[in-house]
Formats: sequence, structure tokens, C-alpha cells
Amino acid sequence: MAEQLAPQRQAPGAFDSYTKPVRDTAKSFWEGMSITLSYMFRKPMTTQYPDRMSVPVSQTIPARYRGFLEVDMDICTACQACERACPIAVINIDIVKGDGKSRPKLNMERFDIDIGKCMYCGLCVEPCPTGAIQHTREFEGATMNFNNLTLRFVPPAAAPWPAYKVPKGSEAFPRRPLGEITRNLMHAWDAPPPPFPTDAEIAELDKKADHGKPKVAGLDPAAMGRQLAAKALEVKADKPKLQKVLEEAMAGTDCGDCGYPDCFGYSDAIAQGKESSTEKCAPGGADSKAMLETILVSLKTGVVPGPAQPDAAKPEAASPAAAEAKPSGPPLAQTLSKEELYKVVLEAMAGTDCGDCEYPDCDGYTKGIVYEGQKDLDRCAPGGEDSRAKLYEIMLGTKPPPK
Amino acid sequence: MQAFLDSLIRNAGHDPATWPWTQFVYLAAMGAVSFAVINFAAITAGIFSWAERRVAARMQSRVGPNRVGPGGFLQWVADAVKLLLKEDLVPDEADQFLFRIAPYFMMVGFACVFVCLPFSHRLIVADMNVGIFYILAVTALIVVGIIMSGWSSNSKWSLFGAIRSAAQIISYEIPAGMALMIPVMLAGTLSTQGIIRAQGGWPWQWYVFNNPAALVAFLIYFISALAEGNRTPFDLPEAESELVSGYNTEYSGMRFSYFFLVEWGNMWIMSALASTMFFGGWQIPGLSPEHFDALTGGVAVLAEVASLAIFAFKTLIFVFIVMWLRWTLPRIRVDQMMNMCWKYLVPASFAGVLFVGVWMLIVHAAPWIGLVMRLGLTAAGALGVTLFALRTLKNIRDTGDKFDFTSNW
Repeated sequence: MAEQLAPQRQAPGAFDSYTKPVRDTAKSFWEGMSITLSYMFRKPMTTQYPDRMSVPVSQTIPARYRGFLEVDMDICTACQACERACPIAVINIDIVKGDGKSRPKLNMERFDIDIGKCMYCGLCVEPCPTGAIQHTREFEGATMNFNNLTLRFVPPAAAPWPAYKVPKGSEAFPRRPLGEITRNLMHAWDAPPPPFPTDAEIAELDKKADHGKPKVAGLDPAAMGRQLAAKALEVKADKPKLQKVLEEAMAGTDCGDCGYPDCFGYSDAIAQGKESSTEKCAPGGADSKAMLETILVSLKTGVVPGPAQPDAAKPEAASPAAAEAKPSGPPLAQTLSKEELYKVVLEAMAGTDCGDCEYPDCDGYTKGIVYEGQKDLDRCAPGGEDSRAKLYEIMLGTKPPPK
Repeated sequence: MQAFLDSLIRNAGHDPATWPWTQFVYLAAMGAVSFAVINFAAITAGIFSWAERRVAARMQSRVGPNRVGPGGFLQWVADAVKLLLKEDLVPDEADQFLFRIAPYFMMVGFACVFVCLPFSHRLIVADMNVGIFYILAVTALIVVGIIMSGWSSNSKWSLFGAIRSAAQIISYEIPAGMALMIPVMLAGTLSTQGIIRAQGGWPWQWYVFNNPAALVAFLIYFISALAEGNRTPFDLPEAESELVSGYNTEYSGMRFSYFFLVEWGNMWIMSALASTMFFGGWQIPGLSPEHFDALTGGVAVLAEVASLAIFAFKTLIFVFIVMWLRWTLPRIRVDQMMNMCWKYLVPASFAGVLFVGVWMLIVHAAPWIGLVMRLGLTAAGALGVTLFALRTLKNIRDTGDKFDFTSNW
């Protein structure tokens, strides 16, 4: 070590090594300062978003950017492929069916996309048969009212909106310029948010709302099923005609969700007897399934079924829990006094007072069950399956129905 | 200042020596002048805070604050109002009294310097005969404020920052003081106005180009002033990446704004001192101080304004250089900072003082040597500035860009 250091100390470069930092400093000042000064006299690279731009910012971003979704209702076949593809239920389509004569077969009461929830995955764009749903380059979602983030593509005044019927063999569809529709919908955001409804108004709205009632304008699938079944019986031997009848039971969007290229393919396969499943028409949903089943059953039996007795099945369906349960002695609810029952029920809950049951705490939910006749025993989320089993055991003396 | 007040009293028909209200006039004038000076300091510091952000932004190819007022100029007003309205927090564990009083020590040490900083030919609060000595003494008060704030915050970051700052300021006082001795030696006076008057309006009459040692002394002074003002690359006391914010970590609201007012106000002080000591201060080219004194009437006012403008222009150039340095250089390490001070600046400043002593004897014996040296150094300085400007233009052109200072404001 000493041998190595000693010659270095005496090296002729001692002066050089002392002045080297000074020379380096001067050099780096010269270079560095001239570079920073040169940037001082150039145009800054950053742009002054949003108001001092030479072109709107949505035109400066790439064409395949995934911004807000847009649906061109003029070429939407109402196949609901996008609704089914959406992993987080952002798209909501309400379908109203017609008989195809007095009104179109498929109508959309509602086509809403909640872009406040949308995660811009693009899975809805891929299955769309006509390219009606697309990502735009719009992305500025600041709004005064959260509800404004739901884009309503069917204008409430124009509902129900008839679905687009794809002409056979067409491959290109006329689409309005991308972004125009969504931009117009977003313009409505500038309006001040609607005032909160008063309690009286909410009560009024609740009265008006027809929860669960079938739409008056809607189609009665059972009646139509019987009609089609009668027709099908007439043309039983004529496969092409039978196919036409079967196709009428389908949604007619040619979405291809069934695995066949279009509605013709699926209905033809059924008519030829190659296909026995009636569940494949996704846009038609339960209605199409019911109609197809009616037709197939009548083809087999040769008899068109009469109108079902709607009241026959009802009493059993009213209390499915009671129907499925196997009673094991009278439940505690009938043997104990209310005070004792209250204690037992409270014991059965998780006791976290989480409020998930929509009561303020466990005490509230217990009182609801014991004193106020609350029938719903499934609400204790933290207690889970355990609490559920206990509550059913206590109140009804049965096992809980499977979820 | 006193002479000016006496002449006012005499004009009003009283004898200042016997008039009973003389002392009250003095007191009122002191109040008015200190109000004006402190406001000048506060407002320039505020404007510098805006200017620094715009300069920093352009050097980083950004735009910077440009929304409040024309070009964002009123940004500093908005910031000042915000800071004044914010809650003034005092940590529970802090030494309450010292914590509250520390910013005022900073402010006092800072504001006192303005007493003998010249602004123009006649505009100076007090032209002391020990001006430079006074400035060096008073700036030391800032160290007291920094140590006080660091200690009383009872936070390790604050204390680290304060200790670093003390070490730094005490170390760099020595080269700064020695470097300032060189113009003092050349002028033969400690008075700031006296030093300016001993120089001239033309560059070759400035002390910076007087001899090689004076040029080096200017560089030493500038580096030391950066270090004393805690400016990058010597911002170790408030190194964000290491110490959160250094000695002012625990401060908020108005007290915090005092620290920053002092930091930005210090930029004016170090730059004004540089132009006073080395760059001829307010001297108008072609107008000797004796001529200037003799001027009367409108011409005198015009010359006074011109001298004020010249001084402000020179000072603002240095302020810009200080900002420019901040956005060019990274922070140096503590050991590098100490190395630089004790191994390079201190020996060089001492050697410079010796050299200037000898040089003055030589020039006294043969004045033409002094003239040749001054002209030669001025030419070298002009050449350096030109080469630097060309280099900067080359940097712009090499990237295919063009000179553009006016767009995207």
C-alpha cells in the first residue's frame, strides 16, 4: 500500500490533479450553461391544454384510442351482444318485442352506457355485428352531475327505437362519423343538474313506477308461441316453410351468438332436426326459448297447447323456502316469547353492526325480524352462511334455500 | 440621507441645529425609508419567485405559471396572499418562543443589508464609511436565525439543515470576505458608494477587468455568495431529496414565507453587491461622478433615473445568472462543498489579495501596464461572451430547432 501511494504523491501530475477539478468545472459550466440557455430561447414542448391549443385535444390523440363508447342507433340490431360481453354490466338495453307486423319485432326502450363505470376494455366493441358500438376519442368526463355520466343512446322521446334489420349479404354498414353522437350527448352536461326531488315527488314517482308489471306495449310470448305452433303444424312437412316459422320465433338480429352465421342457419338446423337446443338465441332470451319450445312440443305431440293456467303454479312459488324445506319440529319462533326470541335471534347474527342489512345495527335488524315481521332472513352479510342457517332454523324451522 | 433632510428643513426656513422638531423629522424619515426598503425587498423577492418559475420552466421546455395576470405576472401576489392566510402551525414539541422568533432574525439580517446597498447615484439609505464591513457583519445574523429555527423545530431534518447551513455560511464567509477585500484595496475605501465612484462607466474601468486577480476574486465572490444564500448548487441546507426542506421543514404560513422571502431577496443582495464591487454599479458611461454631482435641474433627474436603470439592469442580469445556475447544476455533496471552499477558494482569495498588493505597486510605477491589462481583459471577456452566445446558438441549431423566445407564453 505504502509503495503504491508514495510514488503517486511524488508524481509529476500533482499540480494537474489539483487543477483538474477547476478545469472540469469550467468546462462543464461552458457546456451545461449553454445548453440550458439554448432551451430558454426555444419554444417549450408542452402544450397549454385545454384552452390554448391549435387543434382540439381529441384530434391529437391516436385514432384507436379507447375513449367514451358511442352507439349509432341507426345500425344497432339490438342483439345485445355488447351487453352480454360487458364484464361489469355497464351497458343496459331494454328490449320491447313486437309481432313484426303492427310494430317491428325488436325495439329498444333503453340503450344506456354508464361511462362513469366503464373500464374501457373494448370487449363490447368486438362482438358487435354491424360496428354500431365503437370507442370514440372523447375522454373529458368532468360533469356537475354524476347521473350525466350515463349516456342514453335511445332518446326518451323516440323510444321505443326499432332495431336495424341487416339486409342479407351486406358487409358494410353506413355509420355516422365517429364521435358525433357522443359529443352531442355530452353537450347536455353543460346544463345545470336537475334539482333533487322532494319526498312528495319521490312518493309520486314510486306510485307511477310499474315494477314487475309487463309492458302494455309488449308482446305476449305465450300467445305468439301458440300462434307460431299452429302455423308450424300446418307446414310440418315443408322444411323451408317450417324454417321461416321457426325464424320468426327468433330475435332476427343475425348476431351469430348461437354458433350459426345467422338466424337462418339456426332455424334451418332446428327445422332439419339437426339442432335440438332451444336456448341458443341470446338476443331473444327467455321469450324466444319459450316460443321455440312451444313449437317443438306441438310438432312432437301434434297438439297446440291451450293457454296455461297462470294461477295453478302460484301458491307453491309464493313461498319457495317453505316448499323446499323439510320441517323438523316447530321452529323456535312459535315456541318462545318475543323477548326470548329477540335474544336468540340477536345471538345468531355476526354482531358487527355493519349496517349491510339496511338496518342501522344488528339490534335494528333483530327487532325488524321479531317485532316488525321482516321476512328476509338473508341480509346478515358478515355472518354469512352460518347466520343464515341459524336464522332460518329459528324463524322457520327449515334449512335455508340455496342461494 | 441626513444631509438631504437638513436641506429640506433649511428650505422650510428652519435651522436644523436649533429647530425642536428636527429629531421628529429624522424619526419620521427613518420610518418612511425603512418601510420603503422592506417593501422593496418583499416585492422584488415576490417578483423573483415568479421570474424564477418562468425561467425554470423555459429551461426545462415547459411553460410555467402563466394564468394569473399578464404572463402570469401576478402569480406571486396570489401565492403571497395564500401564504399569509394559511394557518401558522407550531409543533407541540417545538421550543415555542425560539420557533416563533427565528424568522424575524432572518428578516432582520436580510433587511439590514439594504441600509448600505446603493440603488443609484444619490439613492442610498446610508452611505456608511464601513459599508462592506457592515454588510458582511449583518449577513451573519441570518446564520443565527437558521440555527435557531433548526434547533427549535425539534426535528432531525430541521437540525441537519441548520447545522449544514451554519457550516456552509461560516466557511464561505472567509473567501467571500477576502474576495471583497480586493475592490476595497483598489478603491481605498469600504464605502459602497466610494467603491462605485472609484470605478467608471466603461467596462475597462470596472474592477472585474482591472487585473487577473480581480477577475478571479469576482468568481470567488459569486460562488461564495451562492453558498451563503443557500442557492443551488449549494442548497444543501434545504436539500429536498435528503432533508424534506431543511431548517424550514416545520414552518408553515407566514413564518414559512419569511424564509423564502429572505432566500429570493438574497438574490438581489448578492447581485447588487457584485455589480457594486466589480461592475461599476450605477456609473453612466462617459459621465464622471464629479460631473454627475455638478448636474442640476431636469438633466440631474434624467441622469439619476439613468443611473438607477443601469444599476438595476446589471443587478437583474446577475439575478438571472443565479436562476440560470440553479436550473443547470445539480447539488454538490457536503464534502465537495467543503473541499471547494478550503482547498480552492480560500487559498486563491488569499493569493489574490497578495497579488493585487503587488500589482498596485507595479501599476503605480508604470501606469501603462495597468491600461494594457484592463483593455486586454475586457477584450478577453467580450470574446468569451461572444463565443458563449455562438455556442448557445449552435446548440439550438444542432437539434434542428430555431430561436424562438416569444411563442407559447
